[in-house]
Amino acid sequence: MVNKLIKEDTRMFLTGNEVLAYAANSAEAEFMYGYPITPQNEIMHTWCKLLPKTGAGFLQTEDEISAGFSTIGGILAGKRAFTATAGPGNVIMQDAQSMAEMMRIPFVCAVMQRGGPSTATVIYAQQETRLTCFGGNGEGFRIVYSTAGHQDLYDYMIKAFNTAWKYRFPTYVLADGYQGKMREPVTLYDPASRGITMVPTQKFLLGEGEIGKDRKSVHMRNTYNMEEELMEVLEGYKADYDKISEEIQEWEEYKADDAEILVIAHGIVARSARTAIDELREKGIKAGLFRPITIRPLAVKPLREAVSRAKRVLFTESANGQLAQMVLEKLYGLSTPYETLFKMGVGVTGDDIVNKVEAMTAAAI
Amino acid sequence: MSRTKIVLAGEGGQGVQSVAKILVEAGYEAGKQVLYIPNFGVEQRGGVSIAFCQIADEIIGEPRFAKGDIIIMLSDRAIDRCAAYVDENSTVVYDTSVCTKKPEVKCKEIIGVDANRIANEQLSARVFNIIILGVLLEATHVLKLEDIKNAMEMALGKKFDAKPELRDLNYKALDMGMGLINQSLGV
Repeated sequence: MVNKLIKEDTRMFLTGNEVLAYAANSAEAEFMYGYPITPQNEIMHTWCKLLPKTGAGFLQTEDEISAGFSTIGGILAGKRAFTATAGPGNVIMQDAQSMAEMMRIPFVCAVMQRGGPSTATVIYAQQETRLTCFGGNGEGFRIVYSTAGHQDLYDYMIKAFNTAWKYRFPTYVLADGYQGKMREPVTLYDPASRGITMVPTQKFLLGEGEIGKDRKSVHMRNTYNMEEELMEVLEGYKADYDKISEEIQEWEEYKADDAEILVIAHGIVARSARTAIDELREKGIKAGLFRPITIRPLAVKPLREAVSRAKRVLFTESANGQLAQMVLEKLYGLSTPYETLFKMGVGVTGDDIVNKVEAMTAAAI
Repeated sequence: MSRTKIVLAGEGGQGVQSVAKILVEAGYEAGKQVLYIPNFGVEQRGGVSIAFCQIADEIIGEPRFAKGDIIIMLSDRAIDRCAAYVDENSTVVYDTSVCTKKPEVKCKEIIGVDANRIANEQLSARVFNIIILGVLLEATHVLKLEDIKNAMEMALGKKFDAKPELRDLNYKALDMGMGLINQSLGV
């Protein structure tokens, strides 16, 4: 067991990366594996700075391939382990992430998106949305929470550990360089004070007792000889994933009930959309927001209902429609027209959204 | 709803982020809503360094804004990079002793200060950024001098305790910065 540092509600003024390190500690994480890449380095810096007090562990590996597989190794050894990465690091960690998917490892990873492709910028983007949801050679049996600020980072990092350990699908906190580097007030708390019980860490291998007598043998596989054998396993995973999807899906609506123009955005762009919607409402334009919090799996039913109520939809992202692509597939059959405001690797401001929605309104008159 | 949007831009190494940190820390301690994004490139030194700061009475939505209320430009390259954040409601401050040109932007007012020259000739090159902090404090009027001094103690208190004359030097720089704005505005 590690020492938890946050025992009562504590208001702090932190960067998002610092918040994530505290959240992992509050979620009783025991070990972090990682390799430095901007803009997420301070997660491991903070984690390490806290080690003398927490008694947790850290290993800086030689690269993200190793960080990913070491995280799996740590979990198989019975530790509540996690990692964090960004950009090209997220790309080369996909092999390990696919293995976690195949072996149903409760792999927790914070992704702080930066601009792409390749090295690109170290600052900000929403261009790892598709990669985080569907990267690797598999079907994307993953759970991805997209956060919109520091309170979210704390809340959902804690939740990510519970989701991963309960359902045993790789679970992600998908944020970005702005959230990692920016500083804003946040309230840290002991999960128990919010009625949150942490799912206990479980030893998958090296359990107590004698195999065959006290317990069954454990055989965790990522290799299959027969095509049919693989499909049978994956059909089981798919059934599990579909079954839990409604249970874990989360979304937020803001003034969406009577919205004529529905903005669909995730993460920090959704936060800019809220600023824009307040301004548009003051001008008499009925705008509203639908923000998927789990972008994998998506909350399909509420999404379809909100889109059906609106006259028009605006997709906005700091990417070229990576979320829109996933959402549009789920909106098949609906005829609500849509427009887009995509800024690849650049922050979307409230003004950007106000101007776009005003142009859409003017065109409709 | 009151929200002040500040862009602080200069060359890497000029202390732009240090000033921004003191400013937002002061805002936080004063019970304001604050949000600070350091903008940074891949360089360790050099390059334009920009800090986006917001200080508000209510919860802040958008983390990045399109146009600033006050834009401080501390180099020629900062002038070029930050013109995009200026509109007719912005106040632009630039350092006449670093920049070789005047910002050509349409805005509410342009204020030239010679903080770098004053730092070098009268105080110390190291407190150039604290003079700028004084300029910012006086130009925005969202925080009190005491808030800033408290935040300076939090950031620099250990250094001040080791060398008490540093505290005087920094306070003097802060005071001169505030004076620069008043001179420029003819107050």
